[in-house]
Amino acid sequence: MSECIWNQPGSLAEKFWKDGKADFPIYDMHGHMGAHYAIYFKICEAPEMVAHVKRIGVKRLVFSHHEALWGTFRNARVYEICKQFPDTLRMYLSIVPQREDHIREDIAQFDKWAPYAVGLKLLPGYHNCDMMDPRYDYALSFANERGLPVLVHTWGNDPAVLKAIQKYPNAKFFIAHCCYGAWDYAIQCVKESNNNVWLELTAIPGDRGIIEKLVEGVGSERILYGTDMPWFDEYQGVGGVLSAKITDEDKLNILSRNPERILGKDF
Amino acid sequence: MKDLMFFDANCRVGDFGNANPGVKELLSDMDYYGVDKALVRHNGIPKAPLSTNQEIARMLREEDPDQRLTGVWCILPNSCDEIPEPDEFFRQMKENRIGAITLSPFEHRYQPRRIVIGKIMDAAAERKVPVLLDAFAGQWDKLYDFLEIFPKNTFIYAENWGKWGSDRNIRPLLETYENFYFEIARYWVPEGVRGLAEKYGAERILYGTNFPAGNQGNGMLQLKHSGLDDESIAKIAGKNLERILKGAEL
Repeated sequence: MSECIWNQPGSLAEKFWKDGKADFPIYDMHGHMGAHYAIYFKICEAPEMVAHVKRIGVKRLVFSHHEALWGTFRNARVYEICKQFPDTLRMYLSIVPQREDHIREDIAQFDKWAPYAVGLKLLPGYHNCDMMDPRYDYALSFANERGLPVLVHTWGNDPAVLKAIQKYPNAKFFIAHCCYGAWDYAIQCVKESNNNVWLELTAIPGDRGIIEKLVEGVGSERILYGTDMPWFDEYQGVGGVLSAKITDEDKLNILSRNPERILGKDF
Repeated sequence: MKDLMFFDANCRVGDFGNANPGVKELLSDMDYYGVDKALVRHNGIPKAPLSTNQEIARMLREEDPDQRLTGVWCILPNSCDEIPEPDEFFRQMKENRIGAITLSPFEHRYQPRRIVIGKIMDAAAERKVPVLLDAFAGQWDKLYDFLEIFPKNTFIYAENWGKWGSDRNIRPLLETYENFYFEIARYWVPEGVRGLAEKYGAERILYGTNFPAGNQGNGMLQLKHSGLDDESIAKIAGKNLERILKGAEL
């Protein structure tokens, strides 16, 4: 028992077990905010969410607000929320394909919303379309032109994901949930891309052996940490990464280094 | 240093149509993550309740020399004489290091009502033998009915499907049934473990992982830094389940 992962001297796991945080910044690249009609959240508004993520050392939480995704309020309101927590919050513009007018209006504000707006969020399944739907083209072309991150919800094997990745080779696609369950397809998306794909871990740190499989498949440099916050607890997510059977270098890449490589240290 | 005793309330082993991890893999993971003990049931219970009862007993006897594992047996209705009368059933459980029971009424095609399984359920209630509710995962209406019929039993809601996001269904059960225990595999609500423990008592919450689908590490750090006091964390990590199993009068 003395050799368990939390007892490894000098390891990241030991540090977090003892202190609850470490001396490097964590980037949570997949967050939300706000209540959800079907799900209980203990915390879901900005002040308590920021307090929760800061406890474990999250430097940036990049999120899309639930209500902006449902279309019940606009990205401009999310920008105003970010301004209240400038040291922690960054936003993805929520792209609702049924509102092409809003997409154009909000993208026109993208530069004005710097430094808070860092990319786009697509939720194809929830919006009853796929990534190749022409209503996404304006937003994805914008991301492609700028080399912007696009966090896209994926679950299972959706052929449109790889097609879109290849159609917009300069956009930086963050594959949320790693095509959950279709792990080999997620790996394929990275391998057959223009080096413009990263796999994002939300919902996976609780699974047994999947982080290990993904690291083996694409390398830890291609994996990002995320929690769906306020869906999943930061300590649960980080706990799954820290206790995975991968090296501390891999864990640092996932939790901290990769977002800095993509967006810079001060995004 | 890992300073807590962890007792995993939600583990499955054994083949069930494919090559699932067995006791050897479970014990190896427990060593890696620092889990001390585990309550373990057989993967094949839904399709083979009687033979897997014997198989889990064999696994514990032959593959767990340090006795870190406690087994779970599945019950069937007494009417068909497929399992012994309760006194004999519980005697065999004790003899084979089996500490809890489960049931799978929907797979095994019987009604989970008093006239069907009342004899064994009432005996389990009297002896404080814990009953796992994994077969009711996400079937809230059936679970609510079942608990209304058997309000005095000791229950552990251990499963991997319907817990996260379901507080609107879970909390009334914690409020209503004092012997209803909640296991936290995949209960990933931010600050949620602390929230449940503060409202219903840390005594009602159990650490669990749903091995082999779930890893045992993520929930350990979630609990360790849940914000609860050390005593509450220790109870959830392992002391509660240890107390429940020791309290069973087999």
